[in-house]
Amino acid sequence: MAAAVSIQGLTKTYLDVWTKTEIRAVDNLSLEVEEGEVFGFLGRNGAGKTTTIKMLLGLIFPTLGSANVLGKPIGDIGVKSQISYLPEEAYFYEGMTGWDTMDFYARLFRISEPKRSERIKQCLNDVFLDEQAWRRPIRGYSKGMRQRIGIAQALINDPKLLFLDEPTSGLDPIAHAELREIIVNVGRQGKTVFLSSHQLPDVELTCSRVAIIHRGKLLTTGKTQDLTSGDMVEITFSGGDGALVEKLKAAGADCEKKNGASRIPSVAPSKVNDIVDLIRGAKGSVTAIVPHRRTLEEVFVDTVMKAGAN
Amino acid sequence: MVTLAIAKQTLEDMLRRKILLILLIVAVAMIALGPSVGFLSPRESSAVLRSLGLAVILLAGLLITVLTGIQVIPTEIERRTVYTVLSKPVQRYEFVLGKFLGGLFTVFVMIASMGIVFIGVLRYQEGHFATEMIQGIMMTFFQMTLLGALAIFFSTFATPVVNFFLSFGLFIVGNMSAVTESLLNNKNVATRVIAGAVHYAIPNFGNFNIQNKLIHPQVVIKDMNVFIMQNIAYALIYSAVLLLLAIIVFDRREV
Repeated sequence: MAAAVSIQGLTKTYLDVWTKTEIRAVDNLSLEVEEGEVFGFLGRNGAGKTTTIKMLLGLIFPTLGSANVLGKPIGDIGVKSQISYLPEEAYFYEGMTGWDTMDFYARLFRISEPKRSERIKQCLNDVFLDEQAWRRPIRGYSKGMRQRIGIAQALINDPKLLFLDEPTSGLDPIAHAELREIIVNVGRQGKTVFLSSHQLPDVELTCSRVAIIHRGKLLTTGKTQDLTSGDMVEITFSGGDGALVEKLKAAGADCEKKNGASRIPSVAPSKVNDIVDLIRGAKGSVTAIVPHRRTLEEVFVDTVMKAGAN
Repeated sequence: MVTLAIAKQTLEDMLRRKILLILLIVAVAMIALGPSVGFLSPRESSAVLRSLGLAVILLAGLLITVLTGIQVIPTEIERRTVYTVLSKPVQRYEFVLGKFLGGLFTVFVMIASMGIVFIGVLRYQEGHFATEMIQGIMMTFFQMTLLGALAIFFSTFATPVVNFFLSFGLFIVGNMSAVTESLLNNKNVATRVIAGAVHYAIPNFGNFNIQNKLIHPQVVIKDMNVFIMQNIAYALIYSAVLLLLAIIVFDRREV
């Protein structure tokens, strides 16, 4: 599968005018995002996520390194017609109505009538923006409505690749869940989504792959499933003769009983067959073998802490 | 299409600014009340009215142009609306041109509104349409076009406050072209060099002030049409150069 985003050694440094020191906002970052995947870009505040996205969009310029977006160098104007961006805290022209805002952005994509009006309607409906709000000035919109119009404007050109920077931050739980659903739907349509977020449960639910950066450096990248999968399993069983508990203990599997069921909380995968054989040999019945999973939040915290959290 | 879309958005945004509307209302009120100050000079009440009208249009136009020119690009960066615009297939030159044209349309709407009221008041006072005043209003507009281009150029790298003083300062110095021109023949070499630099480098805003010639017909201009066309061409060429510089600077600017 082709890379939608390919970054090689991207670096961005700023000079602190007061201390005359160089600040590396992004430090030798290399990664690839494949076409059609929903990719999570994780990091603490100030880790360099927004700086990276802004470089990919040509809003700021890399100090070193290069990147390709949809096969073209960053800043290529032709590529911009196939990508979209929802900035963190999307700002709009407050006096414009929702419809006029969409119309303005559609014109920037050179979408002419009648297709323009059709696309505007479709996008506003896709983000579940109440039709009564379409003709109201944005200054009267709630945070959730602003994010909806933000995503709608990002969809106006039916993009192949979307950059979403903290799209669900600051939303109430209902708006949050709805926005997450919209992002999932966008991913289902085969579009590539580059999602920068602090909402790790959202990322875990929506992203097939993630990258974690810290102080501008890439710490890890991989499939969400691989990163969250643990290296131990839990075995639950019932029955078994009186000597089973001792046999399990001798095999290194501590057993605990609860509500009539026995549970071995942590078994190395290499020992699973031996343990199952012991249980069955003692006339016990294995009821569940569940691999341990870590949450993405645990993975994130562990990874960042190992790298030095301060 | 993109440039015009940005210009239209800028015009609409500017026309919602209360400060500009207040300036327009005050200026229109002053022009409308112009006939009441005719008593100050009964013999030349018409000249006073014309002088006042053109002066009000110039002053209001100046404030509107500077306030518009210094804001249109920095506000986009400050509000971060520039991110959603420049992440679209919009060339940076289209953005700068759109912002300039939007600001220019705003100034045009404001000056045209004041001009219509001014011509109407003169018609009421003098019983005929003083069409020659349109030339003065038009020259003010082209003077403001040049000033707007200057403010847009500064706005690509200077803060609005710095830009405000730079634009105003250069407008004042540029209006003293008659003084700097006379200093070109000064005996002192240093004075001649400085006067020459100022005279040729700073836009010559003084050339657009044809009020005296309009109000006092005894001042002779060989061919008014040629004079006006020369000044319009000067404004357009100088503005084009300033916009080109603005585009070059903004193209390299990080937002």
